[in-house]
Amino acid sequence: MMARALLTVILGLSLLLAGAAASWAAAPPTLSDPQVPLAHSLAAFRQAVRPGGPGKDGIPAIDRPRFVSASEADAWLASGDRVIGLYRDGEARAYPQRVLVWHEIVNDVVAGESLAITYCPLTGSALGFRRGDSEFGVSGRLLNSNLVMYDRATDSEWPQLLGVAIDGSLVGRGLVPERLVWTTWEAWRARHPGTRVLSRDTGYVRNYRRDPYGDYNPVAGYYRPESRRLFPVMAEDTRLPPKAMVLAFREAEGAAAVSLPALREAGMVRLTLGERAYAYVVIHDPELDTGWVFRTSAGQAIDPASLRFGPGGVSGPGIEALEPVNAFQVMWFAWAGFHPDTLLVGEGGVP
Amino acid sequence: MTALARLLAALFSRPATLAMMAATALGYALLFLWLSGDIAGGGRGDVRLSITAWHRMFESRGPLRFEPVGLVELGPWVWTLSPLDTLIALGLGLLLGGNLAGLWLSRRAPAACPRRAPASGGLAALPALLAGGACCAPLLVVWLGLPIAGGLAVLAPWLIPLAYLALLLGLVRLAVWREQQRHQARGGGR
Repeated sequence: MMARALLTVILGLSLLLAGAAASWAAAPPTLSDPQVPLAHSLAAFRQAVRPGGPGKDGIPAIDRPRFVSASEADAWLASGDRVIGLYRDGEARAYPQRVLVWHEIVNDVVAGESLAITYCPLTGSALGFRRGDSEFGVSGRLLNSNLVMYDRATDSEWPQLLGVAIDGSLVGRGLVPERLVWTTWEAWRARHPGTRVLSRDTGYVRNYRRDPYGDYNPVAGYYRPESRRLFPVMAEDTRLPPKAMVLAFREAEGAAAVSLPALREAGMVRLTLGERAYAYVVIHDPELDTGWVFRTSAGQAIDPASLRFGPGGVSGPGIEALEPVNAFQVMWFAWAGFHPDTLLVGEGGVP
Repeated sequence: MTALARLLAALFSRPATLAMMAATALGYALLFLWLSGDIAGGGRGDVRLSITAWHRMFESRGPLRFEPVGLVELGPWVWTLSPLDTLIALGLGLLLGGNLAGLWLSRRAPAACPRRAPASGGLAALPALLAGGACCAPLLVVWLGLPIAGGLAVLAPWLIPLAYLALLLGLVRLAVWREQQRHQARGGGR
């Protein structure tokens, strides 16, 4: 009798351990020391999470994405429609905003790498992450108005803009980012004529001709820079209108945002972060209307006139030696909510 | 219960009240489906019906919100058709119609007592209009730009059941009032 009970306990424990090991094996690749400055403790972030309305997976991620050619997409995408672009090892993909607004996450494989393409309409942010054998889903919860994702291997919770798990077995670990570009269909198509485009055949029925929040072409409704946010945030900063789009990046030493009108006008912005004054250069890409960020040394000269823009981003004398830093566009209120100490370049004009 | 049954019998046996209930049910359902985003713009002037996802009919996408199974295009409108959302909307509309028709019926009857029929039942249909909406906020809140979506999201699971309950209570109050009227009338006649 005693032996049978012991055997049952051992078997149960083994099954539990095997289950945990299997979910860990399928967990997304993570960094134990994410290069993300945390303005609050993970417990404070957890406490600030709010229900968004729909339940877990109420906004369904696209797990088996289908793609169409650029000429097929021309039939339903207008030149000024926003797309989220990805270029990796010679493959270009465009994920139309009007499709992603209904799904928020695409679990895709591009050039052999499993990636999660994520988009939060409430914060206007598109970020890519490596996902390994796991998939990501929409938790239905928000932090600073921003999408909280979960990974289906460990059920850990990841605010999209933070990219660091705030709950679950991967708590404190960071995801590996992948650069995405927020631009127009016309600009992306011109840069990548052979791009594939996420199809509207998603397996779900949605009205892909309409965005429930407003419009980006032209900007209207919720997306107007001066319009108000809908959900609470942990910190407010009125240096810019709430939904002004900024190009943002961060490393362990600090966070920075560059206002887009200022970047457009300046063409190139240099800035330093942290006590040790790490230097960065932000280069405006006039065709895609985005920025490319590099870590640099203070005196390193870059001649803007010699820069070229191609499928992989910016190139030119001196660029290859620099270390690229992931950057993305995001609404100002959300960036300031996560990074209240952020440096802001271009407040009220050109730096 | 008998009082409610009598009221329902009265409502369903008169063409005028029946028409009022049907019109209200349809009107409310259209409003509900529009505010919850199931009916929206984006149509290209065609008339088209495509049902492609019957298997998703019972999949939930939020508290008492279900996946659409097909697309109905009618002129400038596009309806992402969820049979269960539509049933919920029609049910609420029918209850609202019952409240309005019951009130109309009671106002037309000769009053045996000075107390007027309870008229608050119609307001009970309002909370449900805030239940649906965009991915993460009721459409009314998005359009008005009100920073209250966080509070509403907490209430969201309760808004539709609350509306159902309040509309049912409205009908019950009307039925009880009618019963009291009948008793008063009988007492007065003796």
